[in-house]
Amino acid sequence: MNTFLNRLMGRVKLGGLLAVAAPILAIVFAMLITSVVLIAAGKPALDTFGWLIDNGSQPRSIVNIVNLGTTYYLAAVAVAIGFRMNLFNIGVDGQYRLAALISAAVGGAAVLPGVLNIVLVVVVAVAVGGLWAAIAGFLKVRRGVSEVISTIMLNAIATAFGSWLLIEHFGTVNGNAIATTPIPDNAHVPAAAIVPGTQLGINTFVIVAIVVGIAYAVVLSRTRFGFNLRATGRSEPAAVASGVSVKKMVLITMILSGGAAGLIGMPELLGSSFTYNTNFPAGLGFTGIAVALLGRNNAVGMAIGALLFSFLDTSSDILQLHDISPEIVKIMQGAIVLSVIIAYELAHRYRLVAEQRRVSRELLEGAAA
Amino acid sequence: MDHPRAPWSTVDITVCHQALRKEEAAIGTATVTQPAVELEGITKRFPGVVANRDITMSVAKGHIHAIVGENGAGKSTLMKILYGMQRPDEGDIRIDGKPVSFHTPSDAIAAGIGMVHQHFMLADNLTVLENVILGSEPTKGGVAIDFGSARAKIKEISDAYGLGVEPDTLVEDLGVGARQRVEILKVLYRGARILILDEPTAVLVPQEVDELFDNLRGLVREGLTILFISHKLDEVLKVADAITVIRRGTTVASVEPKSVTARQLAELMVGSELPSPETRESTVTEVVAIAVSGLTVLSADGRKLIDDVSFEIHKGEVLGIAGVEGNGQAELVEAIMGMRPSTGTVRVGLERRAESEEEGTSASEDRDHAGRPASATMSMHDISAWPTLRRREHGIGYIPEDRHRHGLLLEAPLWENRILGHQTQKPNVKGIWIDRKGARADTQRIVFTYDVRTPGIEVAADALSGGNQQKLIVGREMSGDPAVLIASHPTRGVDVGAQAAIWDHLRDARAKGLAVLLISADLDELIGLSDSLKVILRGRIVADVDPANVTPEQLGSAMTGAGEAQ
Amino acid sequence: MLRTSVTKLAATAATGAVLMAAAACGGSSSTSSEASTSAAATTAAAAPKAKVGLAYDIGGRGDQSFNDAAAAGLDKAKTDLGVDAKELEATAGETDAQKEERLRLLAQGGYNPVVAIGFAYSAAVGKVAKEFPDVKFAIVDDAVAGPNISNLLFAEEQGSFLVGAAAALKSAKGNVGFVGGVDVPLIHKFQAGFEAGAKAVKPDIKIQTKYLTQPPDFGGFNDPAKGKTAAQGMIDAGADVVYAAAGGSGGGVFEAAKAAGAKAIGVDSDQAKTADPGVQGVIMTSMLKKVDVAVYDFIKKFVDNAVVAGPTIYDLKAGGVDYATTGGQVDDIKSKLDEYKQKIISGEITVPSK
Repeated sequence: MNTFLNRLMGRVKLGGLLAVAAPILAIVFAMLITSVVLIAAGKPALDTFGWLIDNGSQPRSIVNIVNLGTTYYLAAVAVAIGFRMNLFNIGVDGQYRLAALISAAVGGAAVLPGVLNIVLVVVVAVAVGGLWAAIAGFLKVRRGVSEVISTIMLNAIATAFGSWLLIEHFGTVNGNAIATTPIPDNAHVPAAAIVPGTQLGINTFVIVAIVVGIAYAVVLSRTRFGFNLRATGRSEPAAVASGVSVKKMVLITMILSGGAAGLIGMPELLGSSFTYNTNFPAGLGFTGIAVALLGRNNAVGMAIGALLFSFLDTSSDILQLHDISPEIVKIMQGAIVLSVIIAYELAHRYRLVAEQRRVSRELLEGAAA
Repeated sequence: MDHPRAPWSTVDITVCHQALRKEEAAIGTATVTQPAVELEGITKRFPGVVANRDITMSVAKGHIHAIVGENGAGKSTLMKILYGMQRPDEGDIRIDGKPVSFHTPSDAIAAGIGMVHQHFMLADNLTVLENVILGSEPTKGGVAIDFGSARAKIKEISDAYGLGVEPDTLVEDLGVGARQRVEILKVLYRGARILILDEPTAVLVPQEVDELFDNLRGLVREGLTILFISHKLDEVLKVADAITVIRRGTTVASVEPKSVTARQLAELMVGSELPSPETRESTVTEVVAIAVSGLTVLSADGRKLIDDVSFEIHKGEVLGIAGVEGNGQAELVEAIMGMRPSTGTVRVGLERRAESEEEGTSASEDRDHAGRPASATMSMHDISAWPTLRRREHGIGYIPEDRHRHGLLLEAPLWENRILGHQTQKPNVKGIWIDRKGARADTQRIVFTYDVRTPGIEVAADALSGGNQQKLIVGREMSGDPAVLIASHPTRGVDVGAQAAIWDHLRDARAKGLAVLLISADLDELIGLSDSLKVILRGRIVADVDPANVTPEQLGSAMTGAGEAQ
Repeated sequence: MLRTSVTKLAATAATGAVLMAAAACGGSSSTSSEASTSAAATTAAAAPKAKVGLAYDIGGRGDQSFNDAAAAGLDKAKTDLGVDAKELEATAGETDAQKEERLRLLAQGGYNPVVAIGFAYSAAVGKVAKEFPDVKFAIVDDAVAGPNISNLLFAEEQGSFLVGAAAALKSAKGNVGFVGGVDVPLIHKFQAGFEAGAKAVKPDIKIQTKYLTQPPDFGGFNDPAKGKTAAQGMIDAGADVVYAAAGGSGGGVFEAAKAAGAKAIGVDSDQAKTADPGVQGVIMTSMLKKVDVAVYDFIKKFVDNAVVAGPTIYDLKAGGVDYATTGGQVDDIKSKLDEYKQKIISGEITVPSK
């Protein structure tokens, strides 16, 4: 029926004003929680928020927030694709790391010139992510293995397999770092210094993220495939009765989710590090889960969530400059996710009761007539 | 309209529940003492629905009291109220003459009521002893579990009631019947004097049913009272001391098993206050629309749920399948829809709906076969290997038995529910895109034509009442002129006016050549709408009946296997 | 050196990490010391000789390992040289951009010199140093080049050679173990030196090797449970001395050794002093990697205006690596170990680094 999980995963619509009011209330509530923690630690709560906003509105910070947010957004979309049909792809983390490694190696080999090399890197990353996720999809379809279990296992396997590939095949040791051959200069995604007041540029891969977000929204809400995916997520028996081949959907959705996961490492690889090394950021898949929850798997909601998370993460240093532990950032992030979930739940109950009242009123009038 | 008399009802039984209250005391056969359970005026409302309305009944101590009624008649809500899982909005419950008010099942247990659920709640990897004491472990000195005393108590209960339960066996080594006895023992262990058994025979084979009944008789001999919920009438007549019939949420009759037949019970369960679904001018044609032959469906453990079922439905024909619920109707439908693996063949006519040129995945095959017409069955598509989607695309409409599970996306708006099951068909889609405008417009049409009571097409399906949900489903499945309609209980839970409208729609479509497989528990509906009738019992077609010449009584006894209607 | 700075450590813990880190390093959330005030609020007596910006790797101050060693050097510089300092730490899973931003914040905030702890900062230091040509940067464990970058490098293989020799000399069964934290080139240097040292003493010695995690999973540097399991396995397979080159996971190695009556060798700092008191007795020696010395030296050179760009190798000769003698368990073989030490310093023995 109308389960809490369905509401959590955004498979239930929230109407009108509530959809906006709920997250705003949640953020206010999260700020209250954070203030309590700050005051308990003997730190000035108001000043802290002032520093956060001050830092976040610096041109340089804006660039950093957008760039990091791009990565978070891609991670959230990858997770959300599965969430929308009740598939818990916990393996986004392993999928993007393996995809980034292999595509970095391919890009470093520079078999194609310039822009073509960028395209090749992205295609390889999507393919690797998709294939790696397909393993979990295949296991679920053929053997009934829960994708939660298999993707967690595949994360561990991706770590070991990736390490073996890096150390034994793709990587070269340079001092204490071990890294793939850098992608040549002509295949870098340019940074656009469009924010006045800083020379730091916005990673133009943000365009890809926006396109992915639009595609996600359009495919889900406007296509047959998207309808089948959402139907399966809402009620598997009803989807089966309507003629949806659930097994096929599981496989395709896992592949799409993994393919999107393949993109997560691309802004970093093509716009910043140009190589995959042992310091390549890990754990973004899990950030993606939090952001997807925050945005209720909604394309715009996740974009806001991703920017909010990257804003908080880029604030970690400024807080330390003011002698506030960077852990306060984690507390805020946790508090926001929790409050958002609670706020949505309250808003939903309110809406459901209101709607049922409205319908039964009309029914009564109809019956009386 | 409250208590109509069944037009065919010739036997003299108590139908009216006003009368019932007065006559209650006189009905018991055993020497009447204080009733163990008395319910009076129990009413329970859910948003938009009344699940129980003015339920009144009395259960004598030491009786096996059966409560019968169709699925959805309100039996389980009533039992949940009695077991403290839900609270009635109105009405009184008295146990042994004392008024009680249950807030939780613990209150009911404390009052001596125990519930044996249809689905066992046992941990396979624990022993019988551990399962029985789970949650009410006796302790020694407040800490250690006192297995010794628990074992002794279990042996004592088992011997007293002849349950034959061994405390130290692992539950996973037990058969279904033995597990059920463990469930019963679990309830007795907690001191229950009144046992509620919810559909206890559903999971048992016939010998196990007999053993269970022996056990139940043993229990009442020792002074316990049993409330036995079932819709299997032959079993009820075999074991019960008294029977209460529930229909549409209220008690409609209380009868003695000795003075009633299975068919009379069936009539009471189904009721007859419906407008006549009579359709007499035949529109049956020579063209076979769907042919099923040798269809067999196996359960996971290899039992035959459907056993070698064959039939043909012609264009313009309604074939009714009569049978007590749980005799394979659901499996038959799911096999025909391709949702459940089966052996045997299902063939449909070549001619699809009018708009057959639209996006057919099977277009090429159509032409191949159309090229060489042969005998009636030769010129049909064998769809046995087709997936559900392709069957639907070929013009098979489907009204599922369980609309919440199979028919609707409860959290989706109505117009999205219009698309469900027709994701590849106009006006819902244009190529790979959902045609939101087309789907919305067509949903408006259905809402208008089928009188779906809703504030709009953007509300979620779960905001509608069951009847209105059903009207939406019927309207959807009748859209696009299907060639074949598989209809399971098409008017269940629908108000009287809407029921007549649905029948009209079915009749009109039939006149235009629709072939309908109609499954219903409503004998009036079956007899009135069907051009031919088959009776299903334990997965087999056991009788062919001419609806023009059959009475509901004859049909009812055929359904219970009495075999009078041959 | 570490010993002297332990008390400081507790006090300064209140500085950067009030909520969490304080609990991690002993629970002292005492009132702020002189170091806890912000950069601007300096001692009344005189302006500081320098405002040092220090960027830690993941774990930060209080990790009982690498970062703490750097913190100890910084604390000494604060006391001895009167410098002021600001410490920032990294978070898990961050991008290069975030590391760059951290260094930029420090450089822009007037902190000079800026010290980056760990090779993870390699790319970030390379980039940000170019943006701030007037700021002196130092990076530990990485050779990224630049006119204003000093590289503080260590010959871990030389120190590991000595403890490898000690392990071979002390092993009754001729069977020793090496537990590496994470399978990365840096730790490969420890392994290479350890193996060479052990084989120099006893050519047919059996050496068991195990890395706890694979990159990018750096959990192997802070997972005592994994360390314990790995060490137990080695001891079960016959090892009686185990070298824990695994950061915080070493604690588990020591526990396993203690339970089985075997010996263990610590790493980075003198762990017979810094480890949990219950297991200090099984640590026969430690491979000292004096990050604290390197950090202190660099700050001192800055104060003295003597910073040179490019690599400074902290090897045996420079006293940057060594073995520890705390507890007296290696006193009987000290002469032999010192003999190897001299041979390495004189170049008679060349220790392989991979």
